Amino acid sequence: MLRFRATAAIFSVALIAAGCSAPGSGNEDSGSTDGPIKIALVDAQSGQLSSLGAWELKGARLAVDEWNAQGGVNGRQIQLDVFDDQGDPTVGTNLARKIDSEGYIAMVGTAESAVTIAMAPLLKQAEIPNITSGQSPGLVAVGSDFLFLNGPTSTTYDETLAKHIVDGQGIKSIAMITNNGGYGKGEHDAFLKALQARNVTPLADQVVTTDQKDFSAVLTGIRQKNPKVIFLGAEEVESGLIVKQARDLGITATFAGAAPQGTPVFIDTAGARNAEGTIVSSPYLSNDISEASKKFAAAYKAKFNEEAELHGAKAYDGTQILLTALKTSNVATGKPLADAIRATKYEGLLGSFAFDRTGVGIFETSIGTIQGGQLVAAGS
Amino acid sequence: MQVTLQTIIGGVSLGAVYALVALGFSLVYRTMGLVNFAHGNVVTVGAYLASTFYLSTRLPFALAMIVAIGVTGLIGLVIERVLRPLENRDFDLMLIGTIGFGIVLDALIIMIWGATGRAVPSPVPSPPIDLFGLRIRTYDLVVLAIAAVATVLLVLFLSRTKQGAAMQAVAMDHEAATAVGIHVGRSNATAFMIGAGLAALAGGLVGPLLYVSPALGGALGIKGFAAAILGGFGSIPGAIVGGLAIGILDSFTAGHFQGYSELVTFLVFTVIIMIRPTGVFGERTVNRA
Repeated sequence: MLRFRATAAIFSVALIAAGCSAPGSGNEDSGSTDGPIKIALVDAQSGQLSSLGAWELKGARLAVDEWNAQGGVNGRQIQLDVFDDQGDPTVGTNLARKIDSEGYIAMVGTAESAVTIAMAPLLKQAEIPNITSGQSPGLVAVGSDFLFLNGPTSTTYDETLAKHIVDGQGIKSIAMITNNGGYGKGEHDAFLKALQARNVTPLADQVVTTDQKDFSAVLTGIRQKNPKVIFLGAEEVESGLIVKQARDLGITATFAGAAPQGTPVFIDTAGARNAEGTIVSSPYLSNDISEASKKFAAAYKAKFNEEAELHGAKAYDGTQILLTALKTSNVATGKPLADAIRATKYEGLLGSFAFDRTGVGIFETSIGTIQGGQLVAAGS
Repeated sequence: MQVTLQTIIGGVSLGAVYALVALGFSLVYRTMGLVNFAHGNVVTVGAYLASTFYLSTRLPFALAMIVAIGVTGLIGLVIERVLRPLENRDFDLMLIGTIGFGIVLDALIIMIWGATGRAVPSPVPSPPIDLFGLRIRTYDLVVLAIAAVATVLLVLFLSRTKQGAAMQAVAMDHEAATAVGIHVGRSNATAFMIGAGLAALAGGLVGPLLYVSPALGGALGIKGFAAAILGGFGSIPGAIVGGLAIGILDSFTAGHFQGYSELVTFLVFTVIIMIRPTGVFGERTVNRA
């Protein structure tokens, strides 16, 4: 009896929660021709991946504010609304339905490949173009005409990295630690493929879970094999913990990785001294690489009182591309808008964007290293 | 052999933290028969408070911990006070009340400290001890020592003080305890306060080992809860054994089963619980009403 009551109580709570969200959010006319242009930003604003979401939001917000200050698109202001996916694919799919029913014409985000992959079929069905910051090759495998990447895929990141380490520095003693999440899986496959193409077999190929906290077993095993370089395919915080624990165990190998390993969160979590020398493959190494990036970094600093970094730059580029496409297509929606994005050629902070059929627009990264707690371009 | 020993060392330090979390769960459960689902979130609050006092106000780490434990203990009192009218009336609503408190605390954490999280540098800067090729972090030893002291103090409190004895009496039979003049409400409040204090201790200690973010308590809460069940829910030695067992088990499965480690940890946990539903030291099963 008691148990029944508990179930009933939980059910009623769920019903109330469901009831709260339903009525006000009826189907608005998504193709309306006046009023603000509604764009949804979906990203983790809470949870372990929320730093990504926070950076993304800043980059996108900066781009939207710049356009709005210049009169918007075709005289209409752009309204950027934020939705928190908590880094959770289930929450993401619910949000996909929500932004569809509330009449958003395009979506920026998410920063987490697994969430974007979960949302992609729904967005495709609803014909809502989506510019993601994910980089997993799995995004391309979805095969949606409405999904675009604002950066290179893991394949590009890891091919560049393998080229630098194996071809450039002649290092073949490499161990891998990746996690079993969407991002980690993509990194694992891409880097392994790049190594195999060079006839290099990793000394160790260890997989960890996404919320693992203790890596003693994995790291002690790797220590005995004594690799020169350890490749990390995990998000910022987890990678930082791995590096910190590795140094505590006396591992002196150099770490290498893609975008997460260049971020301040990674460096803080690992400790600047432990992260020293980490090799990073990134399309945006620093704020000083070009005039555009200097301008972007200054505007970012002025607005958020914070140094700009890769994820903000990616979201800025992605949002600029979306807004440019909106302008060239006269605020089209659905398929015409997706086609307009695909046709957009854009000189961005990350490089020259030219989208192919798979929705990838950029195919190049550079190599940097962490020196004194900062990511700088590699000397060679 | 070296891998095995190093794995145990890695598991023990997080195991000590799980044990502290489990102690908080068990203390409230044995006193009130209630599972405090907000406990994980209280751990997060404790971690944030300790790191804030340590990093922003630049208090020494030990002092920052004590202040955090005090403030978090007050939060425990508030939770108990709000739930008190429901006591002995509707147990299910009390359970849901603790879930609600968890959600409120989670939201408050994000409002106050933001969603991004922070890294806490280790308060013990000395390098790890090297023992026949085994590396032991000095901070891990500190964590173990503090956890041990906290456990001893708790046991002494429960067995040697009047208030502690009163709590034990309420745990055994709260009607009989009321009949001999023990204030059940106050006893429950003490349990909640100490439980929250232990959560803050766990959260504060784990900060320099991990990364303090709003998601911290969720992971620790689940492992701590599993530890409490494994040791025997409500049992003090059970919480310690359960915590260390989960920590070491977790560490081993991570080495052997890699991406499936979480699955294997909880499969092993389920099998143990099926064979021995009362846990290692448990006298009673969870009340199925």
